[in-house]
Amino acid sequence: MDSVFFTNLLPIAEASGGEHEGPGYFGLVFYVGFVLLLVALVVWQVRKGLKERIFKSPITQAAEQMYLFIENMCLNIIGAHGRKYIPFIGTLWLIIFVGNTVALFFPTSPTADLSFNLSMALIAVGYVQYEGIKGHADHLRHAGRDPFSAWFVGFFKHMSHFSGPKLGLAMIPITLLIFVVEIISELMKNISLSLRLFGNMHGGHAAVEALNTVGQPIYFPIGGFLLVVKLLTVVVQALVFTLLTCVYISLVTHHEGEHGSGDLAAAH
Amino acid sequence: MMMIGLGLAVLGAGIGFGLIGYGAMTGMARQPEALGKLQTVMLIAFAFVELTFLLTLFLAPGTFNK
Repeated sequence: MDSVFFTNLLPIAEASGGEHEGPGYFGLVFYVGFVLLLVALVVWQVRKGLKERIFKSPITQAAEQMYLFIENMCLNIIGAHGRKYIPFIGTLWLIIFVGNTVALFFPTSPTADLSFNLSMALIAVGYVQYEGIKGHADHLRHAGRDPFSAWFVGFFKHMSHFSGPKLGLAMIPITLLIFVVEIISELMKNISLSLRLFGNMHGGHAAVEALNTVGQPIYFPIGGFLLVVKLLTVVVQALVFTLLTCVYISLVTHHEGEHGSGDLAAAH
Repeated sequence: MMMIGLGLAVLGAGIGFGLIGYGAMTGMARQPEALGKLQTVMLIAFAFVELTFLLTLFLAPGTFNK
């Protein structure tokens, strides 16, 4: 007891927290496969209940609530055209949520590994860029350009958003500066999305292990008390990741709407 | 010394969290019908405050990400 309560707990916690490693490549593949299997099983059960006219199966009802939640989020943040992004956002939410839930019962989870999170963030931010370019390209094709040049010009129009407002020739250094800063902030979106999820999940595991190490002399897993905090983290982090993806999508598509809303309305 | 720095970082993040929670709660109490929107914005703000702390944590070498 003496050694636990009257010494600096940080070295103990640090030692066990630092030893906590990710699942490794094979383990990561195993856990991702496990999560996918779990999602597939749930979706299979959900699909069974879809055949009835009124959803009686509780799992189907739960899935319906989840769908309504995702739909609400998309429509509230992105706007009326957000319905298109529901499958993408829903997939991200489902994978992250199930991956995080695995973290509650297993010593590690796919979302506690930076490579998995970074790949998801790259997909999300890459899709956002694609949508930004596609918005401009579609707009130009409505105006009568051929597809290749529409995509080409759309790419540069999308890039011109990063250079801030038009300031004139004398302010070119400042425009360049804004461009560099905006590009960096765009790249930081990947890092912020992935690092947030990774930090929360990995931090949860490390904290539980550290507290368990501290509780070893009295034979009591103190880390178990952190399960409540982890439960909160699981839900909030899955929400935050998808919410921020929605916000990024809305930023890109709103830009396009502001510039071409009049012309688009005339074209339709 | 590094631990003091981390403690200061937590202090800043805690103040940030508290301010966001305070603002969101006053807003919700004044306008309960805007609860959903306030919660969304609150979570986004939480995420940004959290990120600054996480960046500190990961940039402080040898404490967390060995």
